[in-house]
Amino acid sequence: MTTFLVSIGIGLSTAAILSLSAVAFTLEYAVSRIANFAHGEFLTIGAYAAYSGQTIFHQNVAAAAVIAAAAGAAAGLALNFGLIEQFRGRSAITVFIATLGVAIIVENVLIIIYGAANVTYGFGQGKLHHVGPFLWTTSDIEVIISALAVAGIIYLLLQRTRFGKAVRAISQDRALAQVSGIPARRIIMQTWALAGAVAGFAGFVLADTVGTFGPTLGFGFLLLTITATVAGGLGRPYATFGGALIVGLAIQIAGTYTSSAYQLVFAFLLLVLLMLFRPNGVFVRRSAVAVRA
Amino acid sequence: MYWVSVITEAGIFAILALGLDVIWGWGGDFDLAFYGYLALGSYLTFVLTIGKPTPPVQYILGFHLPVLLSILLAVVVVVGLAAVIGAIALRNLRDIYFAVTTLGAVSALYLLVENYTPLFDGYNGVYGLINPGQTALNLTYNGYRIVFLGVVLVLLVLAYLLVQRLSRSPFGRMLRAVREDERAAAAYGRPVFGAKYRAYLFGAALAGLTGGLFAIFISAFNPSAWTPQELLVIYAAILVGGRGNPRGVILGVFVVYIGFIELTRYLPSPASRPDFAPAARQILIGLMIILMLRFRPEGLFRERPGLDRGPVPPAPAAAPASQRAAALPGLTSEERARREGDASKAARRRAGKTERVGKTERVGKTE
Amino acid sequence: MSALLEIENLTKSFGGVHAVRSCTFSVPEGQVTGLIGPNGAGKSTVVDLVSGFGQPDSGSVTFAGQPLAGKRPDVISRLGLIRTFQTPREWRNLTVMDNVLLARRRFASESLWRSLTRARRIRREEEADRAAVRDILERFQLAELRNELAVRLSGGQKRLLEFARIAAAEARLIILDEPMGGVNPVLGARIGEAVRQFAAEGRAVVVVEHNLPFIENTCHQVVVMDLGEVIAQGPFSGLRDNPRVVDAYLGMDQSHE
Repeated sequence: MTTFLVSIGIGLSTAAILSLSAVAFTLEYAVSRIANFAHGEFLTIGAYAAYSGQTIFHQNVAAAAVIAAAAGAAAGLALNFGLIEQFRGRSAITVFIATLGVAIIVENVLIIIYGAANVTYGFGQGKLHHVGPFLWTTSDIEVIISALAVAGIIYLLLQRTRFGKAVRAISQDRALAQVSGIPARRIIMQTWALAGAVAGFAGFVLADTVGTFGPTLGFGFLLLTITATVAGGLGRPYATFGGALIVGLAIQIAGTYTSSAYQLVFAFLLLVLLMLFRPNGVFVRRSAVAVRA
Repeated sequence: MYWVSVITEAGIFAILALGLDVIWGWGGDFDLAFYGYLALGSYLTFVLTIGKPTPPVQYILGFHLPVLLSILLAVVVVVGLAAVIGAIALRNLRDIYFAVTTLGAVSALYLLVENYTPLFDGYNGVYGLINPGQTALNLTYNGYRIVFLGVVLVLLVLAYLLVQRLSRSPFGRMLRAVREDERAAAAYGRPVFGAKYRAYLFGAALAGLTGGLFAIFISAFNPSAWTPQELLVIYAAILVGGRGNPRGVILGVFVVYIGFIELTRYLPSPASRPDFAPAARQILIGLMIILMLRFRPEGLFRERPGLDRGPVPPAPAAAPASQRAAALPGLTSEERARREGDASKAARRRAGKTERVGKTERVGKTE
Repeated sequence: MSALLEIENLTKSFGGVHAVRSCTFSVPEGQVTGLIGPNGAGKSTVVDLVSGFGQPDSGSVTFAGQPLAGKRPDVISRLGLIRTFQTPREWRNLTVMDNVLLARRRFASESLWRSLTRARRIRREEEADRAAVRDILERFQLAELRNELAVRLSGGQKRLLEFARIAAAEARLIILDEPMGGVNPVLGARIGEAVRQFAAEGRAVVVVEHNLPFIENTCHQVVVMDLGEVIAQGPFSGLRDNPRVVDAYLGMDQSHE
């Protein structure tokens, strides 16, 4: 039983990171209606920014987190301005392929800058704590707390601010929102900055949790992010947290009973199943629903 | 010998790209599982040809079949895998959802192969298929390589002819109609899923074949050889050459592979950064994808539909060209002028004067 | 003699809203049947249900004696039914000739295997179809555009292309969904001609339309729907005096274009 609960604990930690990445992904989808395959690179950029920042801020975890978020925000803005805007009016799949191109570019630029080998942080947060039935490291606890905090912030933003209202309006109907006087382009930019920041931060905590990381950090995490997003429902930020929870726990439990190496296999099979049976009615765009023939 | 190697590899990938173009160019499905079919084809060719593994190496099967038979069997199994993935992904999913689902499926397989060592020895992969039949054919190592290049080129030509024929055929036409508008295709009696599915299996079969060729070419195969990045290079090649155009696709592959490899060969790789050149190459690939999509999504060579060269029935007598043109609904005045020009051109054509059909140029003999 | 298409008690709701409710009417061969009604009456839903682009909750559709329940749209089409959509849905990156050739529906030659192995024979056999299609294109004044990509046609030409496709399909039942949408009078006259021609050839035609003069000129009988139900059937002349029809169309100008 203890092993099971410990697994749940780890699953919660995984779910926390996943939820951060997934809510960012889903916000990007909500305002721009695209599946951003360069999303993983926001995480990687955040992780590396924190790594570089270490030379200045040494052991200061908070500073590293801020740097990671800032780098992610910058990346989000750059992508929106440099790519999404350029491809306005093109089909979703075209933009999707373009973001794939961006992902390749970013990953390899990072290889050139930092080398392909793995790097490590020096934060030393591996100390284990007993929190109730769970066994968490310091970073696990920080991750879970920050995930909850981000969830709260996003909730407040979306529900209580004009910005949030605008985001919700745009995600439902951009044209209508614009006609109602909402400065769509600006709001979208800001949302991408926000999503990038959250993703950058997620990259930092992910890297911190796994210990060593390389340029493929984010891309490897991307499919898992998509699984969590789909599970919750594309474009639905609150439900995404639920989706991340489900996926995080599910793969952790599966991994305990088979072997941790197969966790991701299970996750991807889960993705396929979700796509088939529970796209959650979010996939209501005509392009996705094939003719029954 | 370097060039023999480069052209052989380009040739193999050209065949692969022809297969992918059927699925993506004609069918419109962005399949991310495609490289997995090549991988399975490669793996199977190995384990059917190189005999039993010597521990600690491990893999399934381990027969000593003649390599041609192995490749054939590999293709059959690959088509079987594609039948499963295609049945799941193609029935109800399109575009991004289809792409992500195929990516999920192939990633699951990738991880399975990587971690379940009894299959294909995990990370290490399989190796040892060195120039099968070299001694039997009494060739030197280099001689074999040259002969192999010849074989690949012959196969490429055959694949090209096959694909070209299919492209001009009713099947090709129907598949493209399905791509253009599924509802209309269904309304005219076309089985949308059936069409895409058959195209998918055809493409996968070519991928399986290429896998076998690749196995002979590099004599070893492991997970690092089939990352998603490899597949994107093929897509880039198709984008550059021209989606839906078999000639364009082959050209695109040669341009991207040979052009790029040569270009980046001369990039300096500082001693401290040995990863520089390959990374630079990937960056260029990514840039190329984005630029082509942005500025010339149809590629260098457009998809060229078959032109009808039959005789146009004589226009109904009486009405002179200008009157007929005016009666045509919905024309702007410039269109009307163009049509009048066409009408007189048509009259000249009927008199046997010009070879042009309408306003479309014809390049080459058959289209 | 039973009609070619029999619709009985067709019912369909979408999330609590009854789009179609106990809809019953029949469509005879050799005649043009109009299907009219104000917006939201359920006409397009009926068309979708009949052609297989939706499944009814209850009721039956019988085509030439065969029940269509649960059949896929392509299967239904192969039984001899062609339908259009409210906007012309040409295959944009295919040539005009290919667009109409596809309507000939020679399914046997479209098998992957046969396309590869019998290419030459298929090409020969296709010549007859091509000649027939050229004639049809000439009828609709599209012959010189036959090698143009369909996407390059003007709006009016695309409508004509649609009719060329229908003519080539030689269907038993043709359902036209608002064929007069945004069409100028000259084109409209040609469309009316084409519709009457189809009926004269013995086919059954159903026209869903808002353009009442067009309906009056082409239809032998008219079915009127409102709020998902059939409220009247019969020749057009009888409808003007039908109080339910007038009610449903309250405010709608009879000379509406």
